[in-house]
Amino acid sequence: MKALTANRLIDGEVVFWRNGQWVEQFGDAQLFNDDDPAGEAAEAHGKNQPTVVVEPYLIDLTQSQGLWAPVSYRERIRALGPTNLNHGKQADGGAAIEALQHAHGAARSTGRVDLIKRK
Amino acid sequence: MYRYDQIDKDILADRSAEFRGQVARRLAGELSEDQFKPLRLRNGLYLQLHAYMLRVAIPYGSLNPTQLRKLAWIGRTYDKGYGHFTTRTNLQFHWIKLADAPEILDALASVDMHAIQTSGNCIRNVTADPYAGATAEEIDDPRVWAEAIRQWSTIHPEFNWLPRKFKIAVSAAAKDRTAAKTHDIGLNLKRARDGVLGFEVMVGGGLGRLPHIAPTVRPFLPAQRLFSYLEAILRVYNRHGRRDNIHKARIKILVAALGAEEFARQVEAEWEKIGTSADLPDTELARIRGAFAPTAFETLPAVSEAFEAAKARSPAFARFARNNLKPHKVAGYAIVEISLKAIGQTPGDATAEQMEVVADLAERFGQDDIRVTHEQNLVLPHVKLDDAPAVWAALAEAGLATANMNLVSDIIACPGLDYCALANARSISVAQNIAAKFADAERAERVGELKIKISGCINACGHHHVGHIGILGVDKKGEEFYQLTLGGSAAEDAGVGQALGPALPYERVAEAVDTLVDVYLRERQGAERFLDTFRRTGVAPFKEAVYADVH
Repeated sequence: MKALTANRLIDGEVVFWRNGQWVEQFGDAQLFNDDDPAGEAAEAHGKNQPTVVVEPYLIDLTQSQGLWAPVSYRERIRALGPTNLNHGKQADGGAAIEALQHAHGAARSTGRVDLIKRK
Repeated sequence: MYRYDQIDKDILADRSAEFRGQVARRLAGELSEDQFKPLRLRNGLYLQLHAYMLRVAIPYGSLNPTQLRKLAWIGRTYDKGYGHFTTRTNLQFHWIKLADAPEILDALASVDMHAIQTSGNCIRNVTADPYAGATAEEIDDPRVWAEAIRQWSTIHPEFNWLPRKFKIAVSAAAKDRTAAKTHDIGLNLKRARDGVLGFEVMVGGGLGRLPHIAPTVRPFLPAQRLFSYLEAILRVYNRHGRRDNIHKARIKILVAALGAEEFARQVEAEWEKIGTSADLPDTELARIRGAFAPTAFETLPAVSEAFEAAKARSPAFARFARNNLKPHKVAGYAIVEISLKAIGQTPGDATAEQMEVVADLAERFGQDDIRVTHEQNLVLPHVKLDDAPAVWAALAEAGLATANMNLVSDIIACPGLDYCALANARSISVAQNIAAKFADAERAERVGELKIKISGCINACGHHHVGHIGILGVDKKGEEFYQLTLGGSAAEDAGVGQALGPALPYERVAEAVDTLVDVYLRERQGAERFLDTFRRTGVAPFKEAVYADVH
């Protein structure tokens, strides 16, 4: 399963794709089957919105507590907020947030290499 | 303190207006992200995991109360009530909105501050001894030279597009508090036997993927020739530094490839061509020096009765005095170190309220002077011993009186994977876990000086290579793992640490540090620091203890 994410241009907020809109909570994100071309179509659509978001990309998901969560730890931190202070989206609480907090998996996104250039 | 003149103010006003226009064009779609990114980075604005991050320059780590209050105001108004002091003595705001950035730059400019050259392949903020003007150890006031370098390097047309970023440190005493040997150029103030002021010039230090300790390329450079010599170094680097590979573009790679001797020869040849025309006129140097004229110190007895009585009365204050107060050049005064490493807190973070408390204390008791250290702490350089109990009480009330300077919980940590787009693993929570192990202040004091430095990726913003214990976060098969190194140092005895063994999982790092400390306490002789013991015993006993249960 996959979801589409980006940072919103005007404020840098982490956002997720849902049926043509960008939403702030991962729990509200539209999910795509791995082989569903709609995921890549959404990504292409997002890349055509350069005044709305920066660098949209698809992330891999895994199951956690019966819900979906990003495989990558980095993406879970993006979806939740930093772990040192409750300054991010985790402050909202709820089942989707808890599922993210209890998920396990990779530290970094798959496919995101050469990070030194990404500032 | 140096005050901006009209030229400085005009530059900031122009730059701020220019960036406002660039942001507007980006939001309107007239600039693509690829076009805009280098422009925002030139103004210290990064896009990180959760938001934009603005890195504000604090030239040579020197601030006045008005500036610190403005930073507090920005933190409260545009961030989440925090600021994060960095190992470049800058301050980062981690929750900035692009649309707010022009307003913030205007606010900074109103107190003679900016974010210019806090990113990009240019000369970055200069580091200077945070005890400048306060310690009897100093040869000369390093702020004079750091300020001159700031003016020379700001928007310098020739050196604004170097092969890679460039960092300069000015150390002023035999005791190096600037990590000079890990800089692209480390300048160590010295006096020749005939009294002439000069610098030992070290070039080609750096951390990151390939750590290097800077070799000395000129043991003594007369101070009045500094700028022609800097120009010669930068010219050789600009000409021959590699632009084809970002990982090999720093000057350390060039110096290592040529060898220090050949590099020095090329610099000397270039220097010969430049002559004295690029040197700072004496009148200009005198003007800058005037801004750092010693403030009026009172004539006080060396021993303060109020200070001694407070120590006798309060063990907590006595502990603070032992660890956080340093000798001042003037009798009856002390340098007060303020730890931003309270147990359980984020290293280098200060809340807006804490910044305001420090600003108030600097105003009431500290001659309007505040310093930021590369170890992510603050300093009030001029406090009367008589006032130290009151300063401590106010700091304690604000959660700023942790008496752990240079101790095991005084940890450098980069923001790591909690904030940074480059990180592989978290740094902050590793630091918090280690500090929690040493929350017992008595035990921490028994351990003594121990510098732990943590980076969340190989870019080494947390200086892990030069930690007595260095910790590097890596991504190993998709999980957070940490490589430990021992025996590094960023001080005058600088050296790169030696790997302890295979990387450890997140859960085991604090426990491993605890074990390393136990080995040190078992092995140490006399007054040896952790570093001294390690250098005597080598890695074997430490490695054996940490990996004992793995075998």
